[in-house]
Formats: sequence, C-alpha cells, structure tokens
Amino acid sequence: MAIHFQHVSYQYPSGSYQFYQAINDISLSIPSQGEMIAIVGQTGSGKSTLAQHMNALLFPSSGSVDIFGSTIRQKRDKKISYNHLRKHVGLVFQFPEYQLFEETVQKDIMFGPMNFKISAADAAELAQKAIVQVGLDETYLKRNPFNLSGGEKKRVSIAGILALDPDILVLDEPTSGLDPKGKSQMMELFTAIQKQTDKTIIIITHDMDLVYRYMDRVIVMHEGRLIRDESPDRLFHRKNLAELHLDYPETISVLAAIKAQFSLDIDIYQKDMDAALVELRRAVGK
Amino acid sequence: MKNIVIGQYIPGKGLFYRMDPRTKIISVITLMIAIFLLGSIPQLLVAFSVCAVMMWVGNIPVKRVIRGMKPLIILLLFTFFFQIFFNKEGKLLLDEVMHVTVVSVLGIVLWTIIWRLLARIGKFKTVLLLAYIMGIFVLFRFLPFGYSFTTFRFAIYEKGIEMSIFVIIRLVIIISLSTVLTLTTKPTDLTQGLESLMRPLKIIGIRSEDFALIISISLRYIPTILDEAFKIMAAQASRGADFAEGKLKDKVKQVISLLVPMFIIAFKRSEDLADAMESRNFVPGKPRTRIHELRFGWTDIGVGVFTLAALALTIVLKVIG
Ligand SMILES: Nc1ncnc2c1ncn2[C@@H]1O[C@H](COP(=O)(O)OP(=O)(O)OP(=O)(O)O)[C@@H](O)[C@H]1O
Ligand SMILES: [Mg+2]
Repeated sequence: MAIHFQHVSYQYPSGSYQFYQAINDISLSIPSQGEMIAIVGQTGSGKSTLAQHMNALLFPSSGSVDIFGSTIRQKRDKKISYNHLRKHVGLVFQFPEYQLFEETVQKDIMFGPMNFKISAADAAELAQKAIVQVGLDETYLKRNPFNLSGGEKKRVSIAGILALDPDILVLDEPTSGLDPKGKSQMMELFTAIQKQTDKTIIIITHDMDLVYRYMDRVIVMHEGRLIRDESPDRLFHRKNLAELHLDYPETISVLAAIKAQFSLDIDIYQKDMDAALVELRRAVGK
Repeated sequence: MKNIVIGQYIPGKGLFYRMDPRTKIISVITLMIAIFLLGSIPQLLVAFSVCAVMMWVGNIPVKRVIRGMKPLIILLLFTFFFQIFFNKEGKLLLDEVMHVTVVSVLGIVLWTIIWRLLARIGKFKTVLLLAYIMGIFVLFRFLPFGYSFTTFRFAIYEKGIEMSIFVIIRLVIIISLSTVLTLTTKPTDLTQGLESLMRPLKIIGIRSEDFALIISISLRYIPTILDEAFKIMAAQASRGADFAEGKLKDKVKQVISLLVPMFIIAFKRSEDLADAMESRNFVPGKPRTRIHELRFGWTDIGVGVFTLAALALTIVLKVIG
C-alpha cells in the first residue's frame, strides 16, 4: 500500500487552548496503482484536512500515516526531510490563488520541478507538456498568472502539479469553477492519465455525476469520520443518501422519476445520459 | 499562534467586565501615574496588596496575569541585574574578586552546554536562566586556577539591592494593571474607548474615528492574513518548497513564493472589503451610529472615585515625604 492511515485524528487549534476536531479516527489504505478514488462529504466534513495528511503537510494529532515507506506521526521530526514525499504524492489545493506567484505561467509551473532539482531546460519542457494537458494552449505560458480567469488559474495550478509527475495525484475540487465542458475535459484528462500510467488518482468533489461516471471507489466523510468506503455503484444503490448530505447522480434521479411516473420497467442505474437514453428506448420498446 | 494576535481578552463576568472601556483606560493610566509617584518599598507593597485585592474582587485569574508577564521576564531580569551591578550607593554588602582563568572559562563553557541541554527539555526555562547566570558568578569566584587572563571586582551595595527590588515591584504592578485592562476588555471595545477619548483631538486635525477604524480592521484581519499565510506555505510545500527544510539558497525563493501571493490576496481582500463597506453606505468621515453605545454606570463612578482618591493620596505622600 502506498498510503496507509491508522486511526488518524487531527485537531485544529481554535482560540486559546481550544481545539476543533476536523477528522476523527480515520483508517484507510490507498494503493499506488490502478484506482480512481473520490472523496465526498458535506462542506466542513474534513475532506481537505484528510487530503493534506496524504503528503505530510499536516501531521496527525494522533495515529499515524505511512506514505511510501515514511511514517508520519504526531510531531514533525526536525532531522527527517519530508519534502521528497511531495514528489510522490502531488496535491492540488482547492484555491489556486494560494500558490501562483511567478510573473509568467511558465515559470510558475516550473517552480515545482525545479524544487526537485530538475534542470531549467527539462522543467520548461515539462511545463509545456503540462499546460497542453490541462487544455490551455502554449500562448498561456507567457501570460501573467494573476490576469487569468478563475477557471484558467485552476488549470494552471493543476498543471503545476502534473509537471511534477507524482506517483499519486490528489486533487481538491479540481472541477469547481470550471464550465460544464471544462469539467468533463478535466475528468477525461484524469482518466486518460490514469489509463496511460495506471497511477492512483484521488479527487475530492461535490459532483455526484462525476463520481458515478468516472470513479472506481468512493470515500464518504461525515463530521470528520469516514463512514463509507465502497464502490460508487454500492453507494448509489443505498436509500438514505440525503442523511449524509449527499445526492444521487442526475441519471439515477431522472430515471427514477420517469420510472415512478410512467411505471416503466427500467434499470435506473446508468452512468451517463447516453446509456440512460439507450435504456429508455429499450424500455419503451423502440 | 493565532491566540497571541487576537489579544488576551477572556470572556467572563465581574466588576471589570461591567465597566465602560473609557473609565478603564483612564483609571489604568491614572493608577500607573500614581504608582510612579510612590517613593519607597513599603508604599509599593501597600499598592501591591491593593492591586491584589482588586484582582480578587474582580475575579481576575491570577494565572493569566502571571502568564502575561512571561514575555517581559527578560526585561525584569535585565532591570534587576542592572540595578544590582551598577548602583554603587549605600553600604557595601559584598565584595569579591572574580578570576577569569583557563579553568573558570572552561567551566563556564561546560556550564553553558549543560544549560542548553537542560533547556531542551523545555520546562522551567526562566528558573534555568537564573540558575545559569548565578552559576557563572560562582564559577568565576571559586575557580581561580590555571593561567589567569584578568580579574575584576564584583561588589553589591545596599542601595543596589533596594533599588532592584523597588523597580521590580513597580514593574510588576504596572504590568498587572495593564493585563487587567486587556484581559477584561475586548479589542473592539478598547478601540471604541480610545476613539471616544481621543475625539477632542479633532481640534488639531486628528480624526479619531479613522484611527479607530484602522485599528479595528487590522485587529480583525491579522488572524485572517496569518491563516492565509499558512495556507500559502502549505500550497508551496506541496510543490516541493517546504519552509521548515531547505538551504539558505532556497530560502530566498521560498520567501518570495510566500510574499507575492500574500500581497496579492491582501490587496484583493482590502478591495473587497472597501466595496462591501461602500455598498452598505459607509462614507469616510461621516458620522455613524453604533450598535453598542458606550454608557457610564455605577461601577464606573465607584472605580473613578477610587482612582482619584488613590491619586490624591499618592500626591499627598509625595509632598509630605
Ligand atoms: N486552518 C483551520 N483552522 C481551524 N479550523 C479549520 C481550519 N481549516 C479547516 N478547519 C475546520 O475543520 C473542518 C474541516 O475542514 P475541511 O477544510 O477539511 O473541510 P472540507 O470537507 O474540505 O470542506 P469543503 O467541502 O467546504 O472544502 C471545518 O469545520 C473547518 O471549520
Ligand atoms: Mg475542502
């Protein structure tokens, strides 16, 4: 297992001598290969906090995390370098404003690789590859990152991590703030990367359509606890998702409504609209 | 980290919480002046007991007051030793010859290492520091062996001891007075009180409302900006620039990668705030109403009378003495 959580809890200090329990007793294993994992859960359920434990940005208040053979415990050990772990596990943050700082997009993307002792020439090449991957063209390389739109900034910040070529990719709400086409483009990119390299990709999202359509495994967080870790199919077959502040994918809810309204005999569990249409045609006998 | 900046205010009930911030500010200043007028150790001790009674009446947690003194311990120690070493009045109490020799210097190096090792453990840092300083003198005095570089005299006079105790008590009283103020007054109330007190300065062109607004916005935003700084540091660390690691050469780049987004975010935040304030009809310099009007109550009158009496008494003492 590439990343292994053992009874991890984390408390944020809040105010003097008070703490806020953001995640609570999480145990979890993530392989380095072959999975598209979604983390879902209501706002404030601890998803981002969990993600920051995966590349040793946060140190657990109790429990331990194994990351590619390094064990992360309560205190940061000053003698040990944790920096190399960030090359293994690439984490893209929820808000891109927090990292852009260079005067050109190109330099900003090169920042990561160059921190890991990759030569400037090679880093420039990586930047060029990454910017095309995230669906922007090369003219963006010369632009000032602060003049980009929100969605463009998001793409640049993803490119900045892709250029590191990490073994596991963790993305905190990578599709928020993108238009519908951009969303599916971005998801296609991640599935393509996953197919080509067989890397594990972890995506935090609120979008159940994406979860159902693209992911192999879904982790549900609720008030700091991990309450489900199963396939999206199993999750969406459950009846009481609203209690977890989750929703059903569009296809399931639309087909379920049609099924109830016209008492048709249809299989409502279809992953995308095309499949749903095929199933509908079959049911009405065309 | 955050709790330092937000201030020391702890929510609670009691005499001092019921007071108007203006009375509190003026009383604390007046009492400080009174303390400075006192001229002898017995008088200060009386003042000290009065302070203690006041804190007891006002339900002030003594632990917090002592903790408030921690950052000033170096200052206290410094004044203490300064008085002891350099005040050469009164009777001679102690006169020793100190030897700077090979052995005593070696001893001090060893002693320093022991001190640093013990300090690693963490607890009782101040006591350790004191023990360390005392230890140096003991070593200079009792290790006159080996090649002697030089010697010097170490003398303590009566007045030195007296003055150092005097100054320490005075400082302790003054620090506790101001701690009582900051412990029981919200930063926002404090600025509102200051604003109200400084209003007469309008005559010489200082607009106290602007001043108060600047302070309260800063107070409000310092924790937010700090939070943001931590987020930026995390984001850069995940691109391989960990602030806790890296050589000096990398540090420069790391600092830039922190400061640029910080400034951008701070400017953006201030623009947003300005827009939000203007869209709620804030016009700089125009009079504003308040949710919480400051109002004097019976406690204020009582404390005011007490303060004036204390000041009058010290003036009388000063004149007679
Ligand atoms: N820096 C911080 N200091 C104090 N509390 C924090 C901090 N960051 C997060 N929290 C708290 O921890 C809890 C979990 O936060 P987290 O960011 O992990 O939630 P999330 O699941 O990612 O939510 P969202 O879907 O809105 O991104 C929240 O209740 C939040 O208030
Ligand atoms: Mg989040």
